[in-house]
Amino acid sequence: MGAAAVRVLVVDDSPVDRRVVELLLRTHCGGGGGAAPFHVTAVDSGKKAMELLGLEGQRRKQMCPSATAAAAADANEQAIDIVLTDYCMPEMTGYDLLKAIKALGSPNPIPVVVMSSENEPQRISRCLTAGAEDFILKPLKINDVQRLRECSGARPKAATTDDDDDRCNTVSSSRKKLPSDHTAKKVATAEQKTSPLAGLAMVINASSFEVSHYFQLLFKFILIAYAVLCLSQLLHRWSNGSFLSLWCA
Amino acid sequence: MAAALTSQLHALVNNMFATGLLDDQFQQLQMLQDFSAPDFVSEVVTLFCDDGERIIGELARELDKPNVDFDRVDSFAHQLKGSSASVGAQKVKNTCIQFREFCQQRSRDGCLKTLDLVRTEFYDLRNKFQAMLQLEQQIQACYPKH
Repeated sequence: MGAAAVRVLVVDDSPVDRRVVELLLRTHCGGGGGAAPFHVTAVDSGKKAMELLGLEGQRRKQMCPSATAAAAADANEQAIDIVLTDYCMPEMTGYDLLKAIKALGSPNPIPVVVMSSENEPQRISRCLTAGAEDFILKPLKINDVQRLRECSGARPKAATTDDDDDRCNTVSSSRKKLPSDHTAKKVATAEQKTSPLAGLAMVINASSFEVSHYFQLLFKFILIAYAVLCLSQLLHRWSNGSFLSLWCA
Repeated sequence: MAAALTSQLHALVNNMFATGLLDDQFQQLQMLQDFSAPDFVSEVVTLFCDDGERIIGELARELDKPNVDFDRVDSFAHQLKGSSASVGAQKVKNTCIQFREFCQQRSRDGCLKTLDLVRTEFYDLRNKFQAMLQLEQQIQACYPKH
């Protein structure tokens, strides 16, 4: 008997994309033998996703009205382990859904991964800042499945303790790998969330080749200019010091 | 018989790659098809053909209106671009990108011309997909399940 299934809620208004993602997750667990399979629920709108998430929570609370049972029900309130949502959807975008899920106020919030066919750094940065675990560029590929597993695996099903620090340690540790052209990593420890340099690094890594190339060049130019300035100052003082020490010998 | 059909199928698919109709995303889908999901490709391709036809119909309807809502047209073009990208329909995807540029420019003529191009390319692709699926069915028929 393998590990318990990872319950994924896929939200995409495109029936083709929904099906591709669904089949991709169901047929390729991405973790080799023994890896938990994905149990996929697919909906075509953010509104339906919210209904599913909200109704699930209410249903469980109704089933367990007692105070002691309610505490246990809360731990299992969300029957979804991870939400994978498209960004561009009518009425309620993936970004709106992301914010709504994070605003539910659960002590153990559901990880949300956003996917989009548009590689826009501002969009990526916006989603990661709003709390998305990851941002994946469509079309999804086989190696994205493992990345999704890492994001979902950071949230234990029956956790009652605060797992925010653990939530994406697997993501942050995998950040040591070279960034993929198709994904953006969220460095989700508390310190890294607040660090502006980390945010800048995320945006740089997540950009397309053309845009990231521009930003990287600019950043490198600034660094090099500063380094040259410091070196020249240092050499100037050193040479003055050397001359002085020579002449004063 | 099966060998001949298989050869025909490979030639068809190779031609679709060679002419730029398909890109490596389609290969990714083919790689995903195995014993656990034997109908993966046919399912996705069929969905794409149905959804593509629907979207092209919507585009034609929108562009036929006296006051064209270019945001809505752009939204449909975006949908078709997305689903094309997901199945590896490279030519259709690239034409949708052009389409969206005309939508940004609010150019009805540009949109109409590009719609014709999208329609032609989509139907060409759909015909080839249908031929591909038919060949696959014929090949499977040569190997009856035990």
